[in-house]
Amino acid sequence: MTRLLSFLVRRIAAGIFTLLALLTITFVMFWAIPSEPAVFVFPNAQHLSNQQIAQAHHYLGIDKPKTYQYFHDVGRALRFDFGSEWEWGGFGTRINALGKMAPGLPIAPGIYQDLRETLSLILGGAFFVLLFAVPLGTFAGSRVGALSDRTISLVALIGVCMHPMVLGLILRSLFGHHLHWTPEVGYCPLFTPHYHLPAGGGTGPAITGSIAAGPSLLPKPCGGLVDWASHLALPWLTFALLFLALYIRMIRASVADTLHEDYVRTARSKGASEFRVLRRHVLPNASLRILTMIGMEISTAIGVSIYIETAFGLHGLASDAVQALAGNSTLDLPYVLAVVMMLTLFVVIGNIVVDLLYAVVDPRAGRGPIHHGTKSAAGGVI
Amino acid sequence: MRPHGPWRLGWRRLRRDRWSFIALIVFVIIVVASFCGGAIVTHLVHHNGTDLYPYASNGNLRAVGPWTHVPDVTHEFTDSYGNMVAAPKSTKTTLFIFGADGPLGRDELIRLLDGGRASLEIGIFAAIVALSIGVFLGSIGGYFGGLVDAVVARITETVMAFPLMLFLVFASVHLSSAVRSIGWGWEIPSGAIGEAILIGIATSFYPTRLVRAQIITLKHSDFIEAAEMVGASHWRILRKHLMPHLVPSLLVWGAIAVATNILLEVGLSFIGVGVQVSVPTWGSLLSTTWGTFYQPQVFNSQAFTPWQTIFPTIAILLTVVALNQISEGVRRALDPTGRS
Repeated sequence: MTRLLSFLVRRIAAGIFTLLALLTITFVMFWAIPSEPAVFVFPNAQHLSNQQIAQAHHYLGIDKPKTYQYFHDVGRALRFDFGSEWEWGGFGTRINALGKMAPGLPIAPGIYQDLRETLSLILGGAFFVLLFAVPLGTFAGSRVGALSDRTISLVALIGVCMHPMVLGLILRSLFGHHLHWTPEVGYCPLFTPHYHLPAGGGTGPAITGSIAAGPSLLPKPCGGLVDWASHLALPWLTFALLFLALYIRMIRASVADTLHEDYVRTARSKGASEFRVLRRHVLPNASLRILTMIGMEISTAIGVSIYIETAFGLHGLASDAVQALAGNSTLDLPYVLAVVMMLTLFVVIGNIVVDLLYAVVDPRAGRGPIHHGTKSAAGGVI
Repeated sequence: MRPHGPWRLGWRRLRRDRWSFIALIVFVIIVVASFCGGAIVTHLVHHNGTDLYPYASNGNLRAVGPWTHVPDVTHEFTDSYGNMVAAPKSTKTTLFIFGADGPLGRDELIRLLDGGRASLEIGIFAAIVALSIGVFLGSIGGYFGGLVDAVVARITETVMAFPLMLFLVFASVHLSSAVRSIGWGWEIPSGAIGEAILIGIATSFYPTRLVRAQIITLKHSDFIEAAEMVGASHWRILRKHLMPHLVPSLLVWGAIAVATNILLEVGLSFIGVGVQVSVPTWGSLLSTTWGTFYQPQVFNSQAFTPWQTIFPTIAILLTVVALNQISEGVRRALDPTGRS
């Protein structure tokens, strides 16, 4: 138990280091590329005078020394207080007669809302990957070379070579648009019902199918398990089809290797049924490799969800990140820091959970960082 | 009898591996077709991939399908009101083998072949960049250890905790203005080199880790100790005694990396930060059909043109599957005991 505890502490320390390092890199990168944040304060100005720039820097709090700003910004992000965006959604002049600047939207509520969508997508998708991959991989691995094995491997490979955007849009066109089996776009929360209004200031792709004309035109509020699952069914399917090939191949290889082990022969000679041999003696061995692979693929999954979210009009953290990093010529530093923080936290926590599971499943593990094997080919799908 | 070297033996094993050898042939055909095919088809059908044929799309801007004869004119015939009318019967026609690419009416086959060239250039060049950086940093970190190693390892770990695609998006938008314009005629379209360098740098962390881990396990072997004992310099040990051991795993990684880089290029095109839209790559061909991150396009029965999705997808599929199989075959051929 102490071993597990010290392992956990070490992993958490490493995670915090990673988090700090990435926030630092973001901060340094922001100031290293030329940009003029004053345009956020004077959105309509054609040309900014030096006085205006100084004034804007004062309002945004970037007239202070960089070291102060660094500790202020990073410290605030680590306390999950992301402040408000530099971007201002309003019209006209931002500074009123009293010399006060209208604040941007607070970042935290929108980010948490979007995190929920990405989490639902990735966790649900991962569940379906395992649901399909474990039986199919085991089946293929116990019949290496047979026609069924080849068919499974080939069909799975086609899934990985389709780009998630193309695959998602094809599924959406077919099942959502044409056959009306599932809703085409959008997201419904699992717990509290809401209206299809883009959260967090509407910075997402304008394809959410939302109607913002007036309350009378609003669609019925949606929420609850059925709405949630039906809206996410196609995104989950897309996600699963993309990752299926890798997991099937990996489980297949692991099962095929393990079937030749002595202890499998022993189990068979003692009269265990084929199903029992696979379940009790072969699959536990494969589960270690599955865990390792999941740990390495978490950041890939975020990359893939950029496209799945786009294809299905979801408004998640991954597409937020693309907008934050690619959308404007001038980056909105508080928002970028918040997005980087949340995404890194997701990866770091995911890795810690995987490592802990690993330590629980495999009594030999937990003595050091577990990273064997190389990243899989799916790295590119993103 | 002369003994055979490991490369010769490996080549023999690869040749005997039926599927890997087929994959190798397929890949060579794809490369040759991408680099010469566009010119050959242009010569055969007398138009090239940038000619715009107004008659290759109909009134709904729906492109013509595969194997269509299209009036061989690049201007519209109009009536007295300026509306486009059908071309006179006497107009010569030209053959669109894979149909047209959209409202603009360019030849899909030639664009597919030219796009393959750009995609392969990006994929291969990015893999070379990544391997160069990876071998350099990984061998220095792994061999000398100490502070250098700690820094390399920490940076690698940190960067890998962040989604690669977001790095690429950020770099493509904010850092690439310097490399964007590098190009050389139609052989290397501008933007391709810049994208390859960015992808190469962003993916260099994987070979770095691979090389570092292998060097660390190898550097305590007896043959390194022996080399040190006879007075070989660090540089010589790295070059002559350690590098040859890395080649198999780097070849395996390189083949897969080319495949993933091609898919990364498709992804960047979908976000709209890849090469210019007018430059054909497999990614930009797909994103003309399905839209970009900011404007995804859904099924539209008026303009439904499945061949624009099917042909690039098949091209990508063949390339990626072939490269995966080659990588698998190379691994088995150069390391028959299955250690790596």
